[in-house]
Amino acid sequence: MNHSEAATIFNKNEKKVNWHDKALWFVRHKRDKSAHSVEGWEELRNLGQGIKAHTLSNLDNYLIQFEENALKNGVQVHWAQDGDEHNRIVHSILKEHNAKKVVKSKSMLTEECHLNPYLEADGIEIIDTDLGERIVQLAKETPSHIVLPAIHKTKEEVDELFQEHLGTKPCGGDPQYLTGEARKHLREKFVNADAAITGVNFAIADTGGFVVCTNEGNADMGAHLAPVHIACMGIEKIIPKQEHLGVFLRLLARSATGQHITTYSSHFKKPRKGTKMHIVIVDNGRTEQLSRPDFRASLQCIRCGACMNTCPIYRRSGGHSYDATIPGPIGSILSPGKDLTKHSSLPFASTLCGSCSDVCPVKIDIHTQLYKWRQIITKETKQPYVKVMSMKMMGDIFSKPTKFEKVGKVARWSLRNLPKGIINSKPNVWGKERDLPSGPVESFDEWYKNRK
Amino acid sequence: MNGIKTENKMSSRDAILSRIKTNKPDLLELPIINVDVFADSRNIVDEFVLKVEVSGGHVIKASTTDDIFNQINTMFPEGKVKYTTLENTAAFNTVDFDTFKSQKALENLDVLVLESDLGVAENGAIWIKDTTLPMRVLPFITKHLIIVINQTQLVPFMHQAYQKIATEDNDFGVFLAGPSKTADIEQSLVIGAQGALSLTLFLR
Ligand code: SF4
Repeated sequence: MNHSEAATIFNKNEKKVNWHDKALWFVRHKRDKSAHSVEGWEELRNLGQGIKAHTLSNLDNYLIQFEENALKNGVQVHWAQDGDEHNRIVHSILKEHNAKKVVKSKSMLTEECHLNPYLEADGIEIIDTDLGERIVQLAKETPSHIVLPAIHKTKEEVDELFQEHLGTKPCGGDPQYLTGEARKHLREKFVNADAAITGVNFAIADTGGFVVCTNEGNADMGAHLAPVHIACMGIEKIIPKQEHLGVFLRLLARSATGQHITTYSSHFKKPRKGTKMHIVIVDNGRTEQLSRPDFRASLQCIRCGACMNTCPIYRRSGGHSYDATIPGPIGSILSPGKDLTKHSSLPFASTLCGSCSDVCPVKIDIHTQLYKWRQIITKETKQPYVKVMSMKMMGDIFSKPTKFEKVGKVARWSLRNLPKGIINSKPNVWGKERDLPSGPVESFDEWYKNRK
Repeated sequence: MNGIKTENKMSSRDAILSRIKTNKPDLLELPIINVDVFADSRNIVDEFVLKVEVSGGHVIKASTTDDIFNQINTMFPEGKVKYTTLENTAAFNTVDFDTFKSQKALENLDVLVLESDLGVAENGAIWIKDTTLPMRVLPFITKHLIIVINQTQLVPFMHQAYQKIATEDNDFGVFLAGPSKTADIEQSLVIGAQGALSLTLFLR
């Protein structure tokens, strides 16, 4: 299913779409308020961009340095070339420790690698402990947003889900009550876990440590109680020095939710006494993206989700319509690099308004990259006949001024005089769900010539 | 993928590193952080208090340690499980450290009082480190968290905070801002997710 077909399904429930649109726009507003309160915000973004771009240009050496320091800290380091190898490594660590019950905090990487089904197939219980992720896990769905995983669910849906799985009382979707019940449910899981898995927000080359950011405290509850902690990271999570966290922690939460910092920014370096810590470093297509000069900047992403919240298409089509682990504008430039045919409709799911690039804390030129993917996709994948022909016709019209003028005249007259049934007939996709404006009497050219 | 053998861990490591070496762009310069461009005219104590409150915490100004513990005892009367790591306040503890060896006792902890030597004005974050923490899980598993900090230990931005901890060697540390929270159900903010339900800060 391509993006627009999937978006059509999401749009069947108009009330829900409107809520989704407004809720995310509100988050975007909070981001603005918070960012504008910071003196030198643009300089901060420049630094974020510069540090990440530098790191990518020396990534192999920083990874080597990181590994060396992590080993010194008593942490075991593993390398995985793809999702499958990542899953096998995590599985073997769990086996080694005879771990049957695992708690996991938010990690888009383990989603990308489909770790949960892999472990479940061997009878291992794996519980997502971020509330939003637990909700989608119980619903047997995937996150629809990287920061707000259950943004597509209504509180009534959560209410029903919890009644079914956690045995809660019907509460009309009371968030306070439902969160409290989830807390009890998850406490029990934390206390009994044999191992904890977390993601990594930043890995510091010169200390071998890493930082995990959460608001709920779930990563810490897992990692500090279980005897084994496995942290999974993509190769692009590296930053050179600890002082660079000063830049990224100032940018991340403000861009994500408008908070000035997440509730917990936990700095892990050594395992606590008597326990084990493992780090799995994963490629899974990232080195290939690094080879593409036009698209490598996408690896600077710090996963704040701001580009999603601001995107007029994302807000009205929902994260699931992208059919990829990372949805929205950034997902639309990452996914085609992995599978061009499967994700060929994503770079077209954009108005190219550029709002994503404006809010991105590490200044990724997202909309330019979307445009560049379009060029490649149009050349390399088969386009529908109607699109090819209409583009040809348009190209011809635009290249000949007299022809353009004639067609313009006809179009303006038609918009004024033809009945709606004809203007909005099937071939005109622009007439779907909206009325076209009435055509002006004169063209811009005519107006310009006639003006006094 | 690509028919690469992945049994051998060394080979995956080397394969990834060599692909990076081939695919990375020419070396770009690492920018230098000039902290001066961020300077604003805000009063750091006022800003800190404001930001702790924005993040859902309560701030109480206090003078002496006695004064602080008297206030805490009024906030949390008899019958609560309380523990503190502050010096010369052992009388406050209703349990000794050994009890935390049992999971159950950990879960029953009602009130934990810690001290911090670093707070950040711009976001209300407080630095808690391993060396002052008998167990890493305590500030997360306690129901109510209380932190005592001196006004002189506040810095304006995260940059200065990292300058200060650069010389320390911490095995674990956390910047903590407010009580745990979530807005995962229809974007309604709920205080008290998986970590502490409340945060009170005593500012000396
Ligand atoms: S691309 Fe930029 S705005 Fe989008 S999630 Fe990544 S860092 Fe945030």
